[in-house]
Order: sequence, then C-alpha cells, then structure tokens
Amino acid sequence: MNIAKKIKSNVLVILMIIAYIITFIYKSDLVVVGLKNSLYYFKELIIIMPIVLILTALLDFWVPKKIIIKHLGKNAGIRGTFFSFMLGGISAGPIYAAFPICVLLLKKGASIRNVVIVLSSWAVIKVPMLVNEVAFLGPKFMLVRWVLTVFAILVLSYIASKLITEKDIAFESEQSTSVVFIDHTACMGCSLCTKNYPTLFEMYDNKVQVKKVHLTDINTKELNEMIEKCPTNAIHLEQ
Amino acid sequence: MDVFIVAIWVMTLFFAIFSLIKNKSGTKEVSKKAVGMGRGMIKNLIVIILLIGLVLAYFPPTQIATFIEKQNLYIATVVSAFFGTITIIPAFIAFPLVGNLVDAQVGIVPAVAFLTTLTMVGLVTFPLEKKSFGLKFAVTRNVLSFVFAILIALIMGVLL
Repeated sequence: MNIAKKIKSNVLVILMIIAYIITFIYKSDLVVVGLKNSLYYFKELIIIMPIVLILTALLDFWVPKKIIIKHLGKNAGIRGTFFSFMLGGISAGPIYAAFPICVLLLKKGASIRNVVIVLSSWAVIKVPMLVNEVAFLGPKFMLVRWVLTVFAILVLSYIASKLITEKDIAFESEQSTSVVFIDHTACMGCSLCTKNYPTLFEMYDNKVQVKKVHLTDINTKELNEMIEKCPTNAIHLEQ
Repeated sequence: MDVFIVAIWVMTLFFAIFSLIKNKSGTKEVSKKAVGMGRGMIKNLIVIILLIGLVLAYFPPTQIATFIEKQNLYIATVVSAFFGTITIIPAFIAFPLVGNLVDAQVGIVPAVAFLTTLTMVGLVTFPLEKKSFGLKFAVTRNVLSFVFAILIALIMGVLL
C-alpha cells in the first residue's frame, strides 16, 4: 500500500529514469545530448525561479485579499482583464514559472478567467518575446500574431471560465491554505494517526505532533478521514 | 540574461529590502514561504527539465523543421503543432526555426501553429500544472490553447 503510494507520487521520476536508461542502452550518445539540452533549462530555472517565488511570497504577505478581488476578481471587469494581460505580458521565463503566482492569485480571490489570461499571456505574448519576434519574423508578422493571440486568449479564457468551476480547483488550492493542529489537551497519545498517516503525524513526548511537510503533498481525503477517526477528536483543520 | 530578467531581479530585491525594513518578522515568514514553495516544486521541475532535454535529443528542433519543410501543408501543420505541444523551447531557438519555416515553401500556417503550441501547451509541464490547479483546469487550458493555436495559425495563413 505504502509502496504503491510512493510509486504513484514519483511516477514522473521513474518515467524519466527509465527513459534515460533505455536511451543509454540503445543510443548512449543521446544521453549526453539530452543532459546538455537540459543545461539551458537548468540555467533558466536558477535565474527565474528564485525571483518568482520571492515575488509570490511577498505578494502573499503584503497584498490583501480585498485588493486582489477588486482588481482581478470576478467583478473586476475590463480592468481585471487589462491587469491580467499586463501581469502576464511583463513577465519573464517559461510558463511553469507562472504556476506559483497564479495559484496564489486564485487563492486570494482572482477569477479563473483572469488567471487563465495571466498564464496564457505569460506563455505567448510577453514583451521580451515580441522583441525577438520582430527581429526574426518582422513587425507585420509579430503584430498580426499579437492581435490574434490577444483575441484568442480573451475567447479561450471566457470558455475556460464557463467550463471550470471554483470547486474543480478548490481541492488542491484549499489544502495549502489550511493548517493542521493537534489539541494537546484532548490527545491521549493513542498513536492511531501516527500509524495510519506517518507522513504527517509523529509521536513526541507521548503526544502527537504535526510534522512539517509540504502542504501540496498532503492527501486531503485521507487527512479528513483521519480527523474523523481520531477517538478524542483532537485533530483540527483550520482554514 | 536579458534586460527584462535583470529588471525583474532588481525590482524583486528592491521589494524584498523594502519589506525587510517595514516588517522584519513578516519578511522572515515570507522567505520561509518562498523556500517552502520552491521545495514543493523543485523535484518536479528537475524531472521535467531532464525529460525536455531527452525529448529534444531524440527530436532536435532543426531536424523537425527540415522534416516539416518537406511535407504538405496539412501534415506540416499537424506535426508542428504536436511537436510544439510535447515540449517547451526558449524563444531564441524557436524564432530562427520559425523564421526558416516561413521562408521555406511550407508557409506560415505550420510555423505559427508551432510557435503558439510551443509556449502555451505543455505536455511535459502538465503534471506540474495538474498538481498546482487540479486536473480539470490543466486539461481544459491545454486543450483550449491547442485548438486556438491551430485557429490562430489558420487565420494568419489567410491574412499574410
């Protein structure tokens, strides 16, 4: 059971390792090429990710929910759309760099539509890219593509917002805002939870304590089951 | 490093220092949170990067471009859109390739399809997107982006 879970959460790692092993056996020279290719992306990762993460954390701390809802929320209207395009357009780095900041925006009340706009414009119409495009393909190509892409993003974000409800993304985003804590006056140290969910709970001084784990790794369904199973109702989940 | 990345770095450091002066303990929390988020992503990002490297080793973009140039319009468009879907390629490699495609007989439609799916649709980054936003969001966004990438390409073919 535990092994199955480990495999499931590392499926991509295993896939990658198998792919490299097979390549090594049949076309060993491609392994070197692959690693060399990866080098560029690692450089990009090191240059981009720290600032994106720091900016996201700063945004989380300093910008209140109210402001995000007002400017990027459901009722932000055309201004919200404009801000979303600006945010994506002035960005740097590949699309995955936009994920943490977009998750935060969603959590803070930005609408699905605006988050899709940020992600899409982050990917295809950012300013540094446009400069390159003019150099290689000419201003006319760039301008036509830019106009069409902006229009396409407007339409596709509208469709996406109709297809995706907040409930669809609540599962992963909600758990990262919640805090698990143990009511130590109620806990009698029965160790039921540490046995059933050793990744999250551990025994300390005959009481249970919550381990520090990254919240996206937590299985919310299992956690909720555990909360219900606890004989003294000592586990609490707070938003 | 281009000017934009430097500008964002400077801006971020400026904000961070400002934050530190205004609220020392809060900024400590901020840095902890940033590190925590990084930890949550780093494993997947490393795997994704190694996979992209391998995909590009099997299908070097220049070879794909030469292959596409020899096909008829429909096959060229489909192949380039799918190739763009699988991986992500930095702009400085993508634009010269797209430029070559446009100059070749094949024309503008496959080139634009390639360029748009390249950056907007990501099969390799899909697991991370799913983890961040949930399955439905990731599927919907990627499928819609693919469809619209083809549409943009077709319309550009008519216009230019």
